Amino acid sequence: MSAEASNPAATPTPCEDSQGDGRWMSQHVRFVSECKEREPDVVFVGDSLVQLMHQFGIWRQLFSPLHCLNFGIGGDATQHVLWRLSNGELDNISPKVVVLWVGTNNHGHTAEQIASGIMEIVQLIHNKLPNAHTLVLGVLPRGRMPNPLRQRNAEVNKLVQDALSSLSHASFFNVDPGFVLSDGSISHQDMYDYLHLTAHGYQAVCEPLHAQIKSLLDKPAEN
Amino acid sequence: MMSGGDLNPAAVPLPVEDRQGDGRWMSQHTRFVQECKDGEPEVLFVGDSMVQLMEQYEIWKEMFSPLHALNFGLAGDTTCNVLWRLQNGELENIRPKVVVLWVGTNNHDHTAEQVAGGIVAIAQLLTNRLPKAKIVVLGLLPRGEQPNPLREKNATVNRLLRSWLPRLGQALFLDVSNEFLHSDGSISSQDMFDYLHLTPTGYNTLAKPLSDLLLQILEETPEERRASLV
Repeated sequence: MSAEASNPAATPTPCEDSQGDGRWMSQHVRFVSECKEREPDVVFVGDSLVQLMHQFGIWRQLFSPLHCLNFGIGGDATQHVLWRLSNGELDNISPKVVVLWVGTNNHGHTAEQIASGIMEIVQLIHNKLPNAHTLVLGVLPRGRMPNPLRQRNAEVNKLVQDALSSLSHASFFNVDPGFVLSDGSISHQDMYDYLHLTAHGYQAVCEPLHAQIKSLLDKPAEN
Repeated sequence: MMSGGDLNPAAVPLPVEDRQGDGRWMSQHTRFVQECKDGEPEVLFVGDSMVQLMEQYEIWKEMFSPLHALNFGLAGDTTCNVLWRLQNGELENIRPKVVVLWVGTNNHDHTAEQVAGGIVAIAQLLTNRLPKAKIVVLGLLPRGEQPNPLREKNATVNRLLRSWLPRLGQALFLDVSNEFLHSDGSISSQDMFDYLHLTPTGYNTLAKPLSDLLLQILEETPEERRASLV
């Protein structure tokens, strides 16, 4: 596919330092350093939903024992993750699993563009780490009540799930335990701002995710 | 001293526009207004993500829930947004003894003087609406891994607050900025995972002095407390 030039979601783009404190680049540089210092079996990469996971007790409980690194940055869209992974965040490491969770911050992009951006990342990971399996997490619903972003995210998931079905080095994993209730609402007990997860919300996401990662790690290596 | 009025853009009440399309800001505001009808907080926390995130960590349950605290933090908020929320329902039906105000780091379009003026305007509003309450204003923390213009800006805001707030009588200023700066001027990701937002460790550094101060205020003047229940 050569749609990169016309798809901003699939064009590696660093985040501009519009605020003036260079925080995005500082975080990226720190992740590149971690690649030189550590030997992770699992790398998590994505946006704030990945980054915040690291701040809750559940990370130490479920993921630290699996030798995981967390390369989430709040606000990141697919094009930012694509840039980071093309610029050092997959170097010097050979994880068995890469967990990719991104797409909800691609404002202004269509579901098709976002899905293509995600697939571009999956391809990049496979090029750099041919022996790794990429687990692509479904983008969660957001907003207290039904709204266009929920539709967009659901469409992204459908497109990505279809595209991944033919690949052996990557798979789709739905981590939504049913956050949308029967009246269409999302509870602030699960997402305190109807986007970011509470500790309770992370519990519901991380337990099945942990089981899935473990089963991938326990698989005998191919070749 | 610059404070309110239409000369200071940081003191103009403004709601957040729903640009993303899922109405989350208004949903959160609406929920806070409802919490005012349901609850009788002794302590009200109001501000931006620095306030909001605090409630997600264990520290909140350990140190602040027991004080009967409500958390009206909203990520991304500027002084303008907090001012709007407080004028549009988030102070209705409640009589907290203390309000903790922490906002200003997101005022990217405003100068340090304007930001400090906006914070003072909020403190003034709180004092007008809750004459018996103490207002604890938290200093803006340094941000960014290394020294940068926003650190200077936030430090200037703090300097101005230190000099302007005493005129309000009911306002106290608590600044723990120095706790986060290492000797080489860097901030550790152990304290701020993205060099802005606090980790649980970072919040522990702030929580102890804040909790001590709140306990001190809450233990004061039981007569006033009985009077306010009339």
